[in-house]
Amino acid sequence: MSLRGPACRARDNPFAVHRVLRVRYAFDAAAWERLLARLADRGGRGAIVGPHGSGKTTLLEDLAGRLQARGQTVRWIRLNREERAIPPAFWRAARPGLGSADALFIDGAEQLTWLGWLRLRFVARRAGVCVITTHRPGRLPTLWTCTTSPAVLCGVAERLGVSLGPDLATTVFQRHGGNIREALRELYDCWSRAGTARTTSAAAEA
Amino acid sequence: MPDPAHQLAVFLPGNRTDFRPGERLQVTVLWALERTPGPIEVRLFWMTRGKGTEDLQVVSTESIHAGAAAGEAACAFVLPAAPWSFSGRLISLVWAVEAVVPALDLAASCEFVMAPDGIEIHLESLAPRGGGAQP
Repeated sequence: MSLRGPACRARDNPFAVHRVLRVRYAFDAAAWERLLARLADRGGRGAIVGPHGSGKTTLLEDLAGRLQARGQTVRWIRLNREERAIPPAFWRAARPGLGSADALFIDGAEQLTWLGWLRLRFVARRAGVCVITTHRPGRLPTLWTCTTSPAVLCGVAERLGVSLGPDLATTVFQRHGGNIREALRELYDCWSRAGTARTTSAAAEA
Repeated sequence: MPDPAHQLAVFLPGNRTDFRPGERLQVTVLWALERTPGPIEVRLFWMTRGKGTEDLQVVSTESIHAGAAAGEAACAFVLPAAPWSFSGRLISLVWAVEAVVPALDLAASCEFVMAPDGIEIHLESLAPRGGGAQP
């Protein structure tokens, strides 16, 4: 892909990490009301399901903010391929027992073994809220399924101040198998190479 | 979402954004809050921005006693020798001062350049002809 223009400085790149992290999940007020009602209907238990780079963590963080505003104490466990065990500090903090004012959020719950999951469920049994993110449904009732599309990628770019042509969005989206996070990293590289001169003909060159 | 009832701002002298290592940095903090905030922390730090995970280092911290709900106060830092502000394609190093009101979870910041000539170093301008990897 070759575009003309001066190279873009990292801090000015619209796809720089600090800007991308400010883009929150695209939910309006009505969608939030539905999600919170669904969570209440399921006894405060739920799973946000979706593939890699589909916005699960973003939605979980936004949900945490709303529950904190309602007076819940949010306790986080973040797991990934490198950190698959629940930190000892959590077990120490949870030993007195979690209560109705506690909201337990587990990002990456699919990393837990079945035994680890059972142990965590036992500790969390009295927590007011327990929400997880996972790649596949099953461990808790599905609260929301995150999906991606070229239109979602366009929407994120729009909120970063960049208008992507549909062809470019589709090309980049498909190249990364629908992983929005990886698609945004490629767009970072595109922007850093060619500065602010952008045309939709870039799609033809890609 | 920030509470519109709270206002906090940080200013540098003459709205300058170019400074040199070792220079004295005078910071002015203005606040107009719903209640007396308690101490306001002012932090001098640098951070990275770009493609990868952000890095951040708080270099120095000062505390301002805010005895009223609205007011203005100043503090000063001596800028260190390094690191200098720079930008490449993948990473920029940015200097900033930030005022934080812990009691209200409120913060305001102001970015500036710190480099020998007060001008951010552009890594591309340092690259030898014929290319070469840049961070």
